[in-house]
Amino acid sequence: MATFKLNINGKIREIEADEDMPILWALRDQCDLVGTKYGCGIAQCGACTIHLDGDAIRSCSYPISRVGDKKITTIEGLSEKGDHPLQEAWKALDVPQCGYCQAGQIMTAAAFLKENKNPSEQEVEDAMHANICRCGTYNRIKKAVLEASKNL
Amino acid sequence: MKEEQKQSSLGVNPSFIPSKKNIDSHSHVRGESVYVDDIPVREGTLHAAIFSSPIAHGKIKSLNLEKAKAYPKVKFILTHKDIPGENEIGGIVQDEPLLAIDEVHFQGNPIAMVLAETELAAREALHLIEVEIEPLPIVVDPREAFEKGMLHIPSRSFNLGNTKTNWENCAYVFEGEADTAGQEHLYLETQGAYAYPVENGHIYIASSTQGPTAVQRTAAKVLGIPMHKIEVDVLRLGGGFGGKEDQATAWGVFAALGAQVTHKPVKVILHRMDDMKMTGKRNPYRSNYKIGLDENLKIIAYEATYFQNAGAATDLSPAIMERTLFHGTNSYFIPNVHITAHCCKTHLPPNTAFRGFGGPQGMFVIEAAIVKAAHEIGVDPFKIQEANLLKNKDVFSYGQIVDQCEAKSTWEALKISHDFEKTKREILAFNAENEQFKKGMAIMPICFGISFTNTPMNQARALVHVYQDGSIGVSTAAVEMGQGVNTKMVQVAAQAFSINADRIKIESTNTTRVANTSPSAASSTADLNGKALWIACNKILARFHQAARETLNLDKDALIEIKEEQVFANNKPTDIHWEALVQIAFLKRMNLSESGHYSTPKIHFDKAKEKGHPFAYHVYGTALFEVTLDCLRGRYQFDAVKIVHDFGTSMNRIIDLGQTEGGLVQGIGWMTMEELKYNEEGRLLSNALSTYKIPDIYSVPKDIEVNFLNTDGNDMAIFKSKAVGEPPLLYGIGAYFALVDAIRAFNPNFDPTCYFAPMTPEKALMALYNNK
Repeated sequence: MATFKLNINGKIREIEADEDMPILWALRDQCDLVGTKYGCGIAQCGACTIHLDGDAIRSCSYPISRVGDKKITTIEGLSEKGDHPLQEAWKALDVPQCGYCQAGQIMTAAAFLKENKNPSEQEVEDAMHANICRCGTYNRIKKAVLEASKNL
Repeated sequence: MKEEQKQSSLGVNPSFIPSKKNIDSHSHVRGESVYVDDIPVREGTLHAAIFSSPIAHGKIKSLNLEKAKAYPKVKFILTHKDIPGENEIGGIVQDEPLLAIDEVHFQGNPIAMVLAETELAAREALHLIEVEIEPLPIVVDPREAFEKGMLHIPSRSFNLGNTKTNWENCAYVFEGEADTAGQEHLYLETQGAYAYPVENGHIYIASSTQGPTAVQRTAAKVLGIPMHKIEVDVLRLGGGFGGKEDQATAWGVFAALGAQVTHKPVKVILHRMDDMKMTGKRNPYRSNYKIGLDENLKIIAYEATYFQNAGAATDLSPAIMERTLFHGTNSYFIPNVHITAHCCKTHLPPNTAFRGFGGPQGMFVIEAAIVKAAHEIGVDPFKIQEANLLKNKDVFSYGQIVDQCEAKSTWEALKISHDFEKTKREILAFNAENEQFKKGMAIMPICFGISFTNTPMNQARALVHVYQDGSIGVSTAAVEMGQGVNTKMVQVAAQAFSINADRIKIESTNTTRVANTSPSAASSTADLNGKALWIACNKILARFHQAARETLNLDKDALIEIKEEQVFANNKPTDIHWEALVQIAFLKRMNLSESGHYSTPKIHFDKAKEKGHPFAYHVYGTALFEVTLDCLRGRYQFDAVKIVHDFGTSMNRIIDLGQTEGGLVQGIGWMTMEELKYNEEGRLLSNALSTYKIPDIYSVPKDIEVNFLNTDGNDMAIFKSKAVGEPPLLYGIGAYFALVDAIRAFNPNFDPTCYFAPMTPEKALMALYNNK
């Protein structure tokens, strides 16, 4: 067990945990930030995607000891009022079905759009292909990312 | 235009149209939607891990829990000996213990439950449990099981006309085999439940289940207490797809058992690999067919035998097998039919419901038979399909007369917008010019019966409270799992009262508010619960009308209506608004709460004769698939899927379109890339997301076009808006046969005795070069 000081959504949190504990469980079990989901535990589905200094990472496979002083952003901290252009586009196009993977989808898309503000359809596919949606909302995800890119 | 004028003349907000946006989108995109594992845990909660059988079949010789019990933070380990009631969770047949007694029947068969202060400790303690199991013979193949007489229930046959005497009238007769593999549900939210004791021996269970009553009934049985002592609550599911219809029950019961025995809250959340190992999938099928046609390509006779791989326990397989028979002839009228299904017991986890529920497995076989016949005769498969489409007054093999048939209308509409012959010519031209890449096409007509085939399940109830401020709480048996049913329920209540949708809240699905529920399944949830809700709302509405008449001093024949929250009397607006009306009724001491009960009329089925009228109505549609196959690598891309679908009069096009696209993608996954592999020891090899691949954003067809066929809909559907959950998955079968078409463009000798789905890139590559 060790103590880690983490910057999560702009707040400093002290977490007691084993060094190899994935950051996902610190968020869900110790910080009550349950918008980030467990899907597969092996970084294959993307439901647990968060940002580390703005880069999308899989929190289910990222040990807490590697975070250091990098800033963690979760879906709860993506925008102050929950009105990030992606969140707005997602609602406008009614993207979610069961909703479970959607926070991860949005976090992946948000990191991508920061790097590429005017993406092509192919670039959106390349950015989003490792986020799985079992409801099959992919077409709307693609449209929503393109739509949001216009409103950044 | 007329509508708008009317609204503005009333001085009310023209946005008073029932909500069409998904009511959950807002919380979904903010990460605020709550799933079972997100519920804050209570002090002292114990976390469960399930110890299960490492082998597929055997006798338990010894079980040593001592080391595991001594592991730090482990509080209890429960086995079958700790069950106070019946150790039985089987839904249809009582053949499935919650915890193994002296035998195990599949890898992952639960033997013990570890309860610890942390989930990690519980899981670590699993490794300290010692079990000695004497191996028994393992059967994983349904044909072998059938040979050995291993059947869960007696086999069943549907018959129409007489196949035996008609083979000689056929110009062509072909035989073959067609197999489909299983499919992992892969709901992104794994199975789980959270239970805690309430005073006086009552138990509360928050469950991720499609069937709250199944959890309640089974928990009551296992815990040895009456149903009223168990409350099951379901907020929403992170995907179900049938995988949480019956198979969510065990985890809810485990949590309840833990809570009862330990007097502590107990949480059971499966890890992905445990979920994949322990839970059943779509039933794999192996099948034989024989098809006979006349020289005009009319199918004269059809026989099929389905060997359903039911797995180690009966689960829902008898009902799934029944639907295979119901859909054995898909969208075609065939005068002579003899189809038989066997529910084979194997040593795989109990297979179960999955979107389509046996229908797709049956439809794949008739499509394979048609493609085989077309290949042998030398015509395009769509010529045979078109020549045999159902029409009104035809009869299904189970005796129901075809009515409001849209098989030809969807086919014709698709043909007009996308000329099949022209598409074929373009593909031939492309293939003539390309060596490495070949294109293929297939047409896939679908016909799916709507209703639970078990007639008594076609009932639902709703409970409506109108609060004094005019806001409304609605409870039904419907479980929201992404299909948008809660949004549709809002639309029903908003329409019934003609009020702003914002006034309506859909409560969680809870067995204390709505009892004796049917699971949210069979695509029927919106129909059954929507109709029950409509009935409840209208009972309250009648009282409101009476309250208005009394207040306005009108006689009992006066026509009262609410239009966009305004009360009208004899077609004239009054100054009574919705909120005032509710107050008036309350002060008059009228009941502002009501329940509604609906049971589907007209349906019946006689299992002794295998004839009846089991379905309220059928859903039809036709899809065109185009695929490009890389003949060097076996990889492929679906270029286009064009669909004309019979939605009736869709009450929510956004949701219905989402269901159609999602179902299609899932169907394509089943037919192409999702390869569920067990070895001969019954061990699941594709047991993680690294080895079991489902469609990603790349796999979606480049061009999906869904056209709404304009039809009158059906009165048995809520607002004549036809059920939409399962039917679109059936289109996926077209993906397989489009690939077959592309393979044949490269390798004309590809003529398998057995069409075997999925057609993975590996298998496509083999097919391209086998016998070439």
